[in-house]
Amino acid sequence: MTAAVDLPPIRPRNGARRQGFLRRLFADYGQECVVLGAIVLLFVVVTFINPRFVNTNNLITIFSGNAYIAVAAIGMAMVIMTGNIDVSVGALIGVLATIAGTLAVSGYPIWFALTAPILVGMAVNTVIGVLVAYGRIPSIVVTLGALSILRGGLIGVTGGTWITDLPPDFLIAQKRLFSIPVPLIFMIVLTVAAFLWMRYSAFGRSIYAIGGNPEAAVATGIPVERRLVSVFAIHGAFAGLAAILFATQLQVIQSTVPPNLELTIITATVIGGVSILGGTGTVIGSTLATILFATIGSALIFINVSAYWLRAVIGLLILATVLADMLRRRGRA
Amino acid sequence: MGRIVLSAILALSFSTSLSHAQSSWTGGDDLPTNPLACDGTAAAAASVPYDGGQPTNAPDRNGKTITVVDVPKLVGIGYFNATSKGIADAAAEMGTMDAKTDGPSRANIDDQITLIDNYITSGVDGILFAANDPVAISPVLKKALAAGINVVGYDANSEPDARQWFVNQAEFNGIAKSMIDALAAEIGEDGAFAIVTSTFTTPNQARWIAEMEAYQAECYPNMKWLETVEAQEDNILSFNQANTLINKYGDEMKGILGMTSVATPAAADAVTQAGQCGNVAVVGLATPNAMKPYVASDCVKSVVLWNPVDLGYAAAYVLRAVADGTLEPGATSVEAGKLGELQVINGSEILLGAPFVFTKDNINDFDF
Repeated sequence: MTAAVDLPPIRPRNGARRQGFLRRLFADYGQECVVLGAIVLLFVVVTFINPRFVNTNNLITIFSGNAYIAVAAIGMAMVIMTGNIDVSVGALIGVLATIAGTLAVSGYPIWFALTAPILVGMAVNTVIGVLVAYGRIPSIVVTLGALSILRGGLIGVTGGTWITDLPPDFLIAQKRLFSIPVPLIFMIVLTVAAFLWMRYSAFGRSIYAIGGNPEAAVATGIPVERRLVSVFAIHGAFAGLAAILFATQLQVIQSTVPPNLELTIITATVIGGVSILGGTGTVIGSTLATILFATIGSALIFINVSAYWLRAVIGLLILATVLADMLRRRGRA
Repeated sequence: MGRIVLSAILALSFSTSLSHAQSSWTGGDDLPTNPLACDGTAAAAASVPYDGGQPTNAPDRNGKTITVVDVPKLVGIGYFNATSKGIADAAAEMGTMDAKTDGPSRANIDDQITLIDNYITSGVDGILFAANDPVAISPVLKKALAAGINVVGYDANSEPDARQWFVNQAEFNGIAKSMIDALAAEIGEDGAFAIVTSTFTTPNQARWIAEMEAYQAECYPNMKWLETVEAQEDNILSFNQANTLINKYGDEMKGILGMTSVATPAAADAVTQAGQCGNVAVVGLATPNAMKPYVASDCVKSVVLWNPVDLGYAAAYVLRAVADGTLEPGATSVEAGKLGELQVINGSEILLGAPFVFTKDNINDFDF
């Protein structure tokens, strides 16, 4: 077994391989560039058809509307990069949002209501991580089980009733900081921080190593099991942050979660360039993909097209992305 | 690779600019519609023969005090607390009904069947039910009929021949009329509006929209139907879609209709957060609890649904009437206390009446 760990390349500083900046950018971040290009193109075309598309309010709707999905996709990207998957995150977000809301209306301090979902998310996903890493149960099986438990538990506990009368201070996703909506700040700060951490920290880079070649990761001394548990726990923290945005956007909290939320989150990561086989991709890509979804959704309304197209377009994008991933792998082999 | 994706998207945007010319899709289904008269006069009831069941060898209960058990889908939630209150109110008013509510603690058909079976064994004169499953509940109800018990459903039906009558809380054309009337009252008879629904293929929503379209064309021909957008049963997506509509149409759009209890509060929140309360009206189907914040802030003036207290009240009166023998197959109406004369529809159903519109004045009387 060769210890060829598939890390994203860090460029040699002396420019051993002299290439144009754009070509290098595209070689390292091909899928991110494609998604960004699609967003830009959509903006140009739709604005040409209906200039109201780029009014400030609509830009805010597009860029902050899917922020909670982008935040959840950061954690999902890490999990998928290790070669695992989590299909329970949608239900988890629903449970965590209900916990936050219940604490807030029960008179607990706001900071506590906003911290609890992060901690509970980490705790739940630590259990999942232990079962996957040490129990050696495939993550799809563990998280399918978690999905039923969380979804059933949510309906069982809430009885389907909604949480209303939320204190105004709790509704942080409705607030603005320097006139920028809070969800947008969450999305940008968390994406950039996670990107840098994954690219430059030893821990972050080991995530790629585990997904790219687990045996080699072991051989190079990476404590794979422990790291896997940590990655799941971090993913739980991001689910908690996403749940906070989800719970505080409206004045009422539903006891159900959007149908197929986990699928939307996984789709965003995959279209953003995270290989479903593990080892490659960035969280910039997953965040761009959620913005692309929001852009397509808004564009379809602005140019009067049925939302059926949204699903068709996203389906096409998934196929194209997976195909590109396969081709890239074949090209390297 | 990128080129393929880009050209696909480009092709799509071109094809869309072509379809721009087509009339926008309303999201209604293609089934025949039956709009009510604009002034609300009752439509002539199509004569459908009675298709309900009959109890076997029921004793003469005319005028006698009867014991009745009400088995809702589940107990402990606001909605069925309200129907239960309606039944208790009616029983107290009549003085000849001993009614109690006993339902499963979760909406489970097996628990519900067991409960009904126990009451058949212990012996009651009448059963009121709201079925968790229309097919699965039917055998046990037929068993009750065979034991001479009067059986009346409300809220959620069984198969028709498994009960005598069913109190139907709302028909599609009735909901449609209430929605459009409430909207017209707020935005004027020539206002423009858009709709946020779940999906174009959700049967109930598609039916309501088709009926609304027919009623609006008939009664408010100058209203402008801008477009219908889908938002699944997703509150954040509903919020985003409503925002996008506000961004797209600006001052042109005077109202948003929410077609689900998820979409309506989300649309109200979008209007609130966009600072458009008073400029963009929100009218929709929703449960009162989810709408209280928006009604309290005066951003939403009308929430359309039915009144579950009245629903329970009507069901109790219908049961009394069948036990007395005053409501028999072939009847066209039934007397229901303060609700007055209720119409028989579809053979063996009794229509509760026009839907209920929750407003600032009454919404706090409800908890569901």
